[in-house]
Amino acid sequence: MTEALLEVRNLSKHYPVLKRGILLQRKAAEIRAVDDVSFSIQPGETLGLVGESGCGKTTTARAILNLVTPSAGSVRFAGQDIVPVFRGSDRRAQLAIRRSLQYVFQDPYLSLNPRWTIGETLREPLRVHLADQQSAWQARIDTLLEMVGLEPHHAWRYPHEFSGGQRQRVGVARALAVEPRLLILDEPVSSLDISVRAQILNLLVELQDRLGLTYLYISHDLSSVRFISTHVAVMYLGKLVEIAPVDTLFATPGHHYTRALLSAIPVPDPGAASTRIALQGEVPSAMNRPPGCPFHPRCAAALPVCSREEPPLTAFGPGHRLACHNPA
Amino acid sequence: MGTLNYIARRLLFSACLILGVSVILFALINAIGNPIEILLAERPGVTEEIIEAVTKYYGLDGSVTDRYFTWLGNLARLDFGTSIIYNQPVGDMLWSFGIETLKIQIPGILLALGLSVLVSTLAATRQYSRTDFTVIAGAMLGHSLPGFFIGILLILVFSYWLGVLPSYGAYSTRNLLWDSEIADGLWHMVLPVGMLTIFNTATLTLLMRSSLVDVLRQDFITAARASGLPERRVVFGHALRNAFIPVLTYLGILFGLMLGTAPVTETVFTWPGLGALYIMAIQQLDYPLIMGETMVITVMLVGATLLTDIAYVVIDPRIRLG
Repeated sequence: MTEALLEVRNLSKHYPVLKRGILLQRKAAEIRAVDDVSFSIQPGETLGLVGESGCGKTTTARAILNLVTPSAGSVRFAGQDIVPVFRGSDRRAQLAIRRSLQYVFQDPYLSLNPRWTIGETLREPLRVHLADQQSAWQARIDTLLEMVGLEPHHAWRYPHEFSGGQRQRVGVARALAVEPRLLILDEPVSSLDISVRAQILNLLVELQDRLGLTYLYISHDLSSVRFISTHVAVMYLGKLVEIAPVDTLFATPGHHYTRALLSAIPVPDPGAASTRIALQGEVPSAMNRPPGCPFHPRCAAALPVCSREEPPLTAFGPGHRLACHNPA
Repeated sequence: MGTLNYIARRLLFSACLILGVSVILFALINAIGNPIEILLAERPGVTEEIIEAVTKYYGLDGSVTDRYFTWLGNLARLDFGTSIIYNQPVGDMLWSFGIETLKIQIPGILLALGLSVLVSTLAATRQYSRTDFTVIAGAMLGHSLPGFFIGILLILVFSYWLGVLPSYGAYSTRNLLWDSEIADGLWHMVLPVGMLTIFNTATLTLLMRSSLVDVLRQDFITAARASGLPERRVVFGHALRNAFIPVLTYLGILFGLMLGTAPVTETVFTWPGLGALYIMAIQQLDYPLIMGETMVITVMLVGATLLTDIAYVVIDPRIRLG
C-alpha cells in the first residue's frame, strides 16, 4: 500500500458555548462539531464525505486546511503533520502547504470577490505563490481558463456576468492556479442546476485524470458521490460512522444511518417499489448529543448497549470500517 | 459607452433639481413680503416715498416672474447681487466666508475618514473582543452626543482648564501667535477641526465596522485566506473595498451637508464661516445673502450626490448604469 496523501487522525473541533454571567462569560457547554474523525486518502483517489447538513463535513474540511484551528488531532499531508506548521510562524512552510491543498467553495458567487474581475481573482494566488514568475502569470491565467472550459477573454469579466456553472468553473480554476495536489471540494455542485451539475462533475473527473489530482469531495447528494468517488465516508453528528470503497458501501452498507441515507436516493423509475427507510425524529442538537451511539435514538436496530457505549470505528470488511454495535 | 451617457443623464437631472429649488426658494422669500418695508417701516423719519425709492433701488418693484428671471439670469453669470445689510457683493462674501468653512470642514472629514478606517478595521478584525466593544461604545457615545456639546467640552478642557488652545475665532485679534499668520491660523483650527473629526469619526466608524464585519464573514474572504494571502492583504485588498459602499454614501452626504452642520460648529467657536454668515443673514433678513447662500448649499449637496453616484460606478462593477 502506498503512502496516503492525506491522513487525518483523531481530528476534533470543539466550540465552547458561552453563557454570559453578570461580569464574565463562562463555558456552559461544548459543541463537538467534529469529534475524533480519522480517515486517509491515497494519491489519485476521491473520498466522498457525506452526511446531513450540520453534521460537520464543512468544519472537517476547514479544519484540515486550518481555516479553523483544530482542537485536537493531526492532519498529515504527504507524511508531514501540518497542524503544528500553522501553529508556528514559518510562513514559507505554511505557504507550501496552502499551495498543495486547495479549496473549492459551495457557492461560487459568494466565494468570488464581486468587485474583482476574474483575471484579478485568478492572479491573486499566483501573486502569493509564484511572486517571482510575474511574466508567466498571464499565460497561466489563459491556460487555467481554457482548462476549465472558459475562454481567455472571460478574464475581463466580473462574477455577476457569469452563469452559476461558469462561476463554479472559475472557482475550480482559482483552486488549480497554483498546481495543488489535493482539492477539497465542498459541495461544489449543490448550488447549481441539475443540468449544470453533470457538466461540472465531468469537468472535475476529467481534470483529475489530466492533472493526477486527489479529491476530498463533500456532499449530501449521494448520486454525485457515487459518480465521482472511489471511497465514501459517512458522518453523523460530528462522528465518522462508516467508511468504505464506494461499491462496497453502496452494495453492503453496514451502518443503519448509511442504509437510511442510501434508501433516500430518488430512483428514476415510477414503477419501482419504495424501500425507503423513514428515520424517526430529528437530528439531535450537537449541544446535547445522546450518550452512547449518537444515532441510537433514531435507529430501528438499537440495542440496550447502544445507549450506553459509543461504538468504536472497527474493521468490517476489506477497506470497510464501521462504528455500530449491531451492524446490518 | 454607458458611463458617459449615465453621467450626462445625471448631470441633466441635477440641473433640473437645482432649478426646482430656485423656484421654491424664490417663492418662499417672496411670501415673506417686501423686506425693505419690514426693515425700514418702524424707523423714525422713514416715509412712504423713501421706502418706495429704496425698493426701486434694489429692483424689488417689478412683477414676481420678472424678478425671478432677472435673478436667475444674474445667478447664471455668478452675480449674486449685493447684500442689503453689508453693502458688499454677495458673491465675494460667500467666497471669503466659504474658504473659512472649508478650512475646518475638509480636514474634519478627511481626518475622520482616515481615523475611522483604522479604528473600524481594528475592531472588525477582532469582533466581540474587548477592543471591539471599546470601539463600539466610543463610537456610540461620539455619535449620540450633540456636536455642540463635544465642542463645549473641548473648549472647557483645552481652553479653560488647560488654557492651551484658543476657544474662538479663526485668527488672533491682537498679537499673532509665534508672529506667524499660518501658525496662528492652524492653532485656531485645532478645536473646531477636532470637534468635527470626533463627530464624523464616530458615525463613520459605526458604519464601517458593521459593514466590514459583514464582509469579513463572506466566502470570498475565506477563499482569499485559503489561497495563503497574508491577513493584512485579505483585509485591505478584499474586505475594505467591499465594505466601503455604505461609507461612501455617508461621505457624499457629509460633503453635501457640510453647510448644514456648519452653523452649529461655527456658532460654538465663533468661526467666520458660511454657517455663521447664514445665521446672521436670516436674523437680519438680508435676502440676497440668504438666497445666494441657499443656492450655494443646494449646488454643493446636488454636486456631492452626483459625485457619489459616479463613484459607486467606479467602485462597484455590479451597479448597473440604469
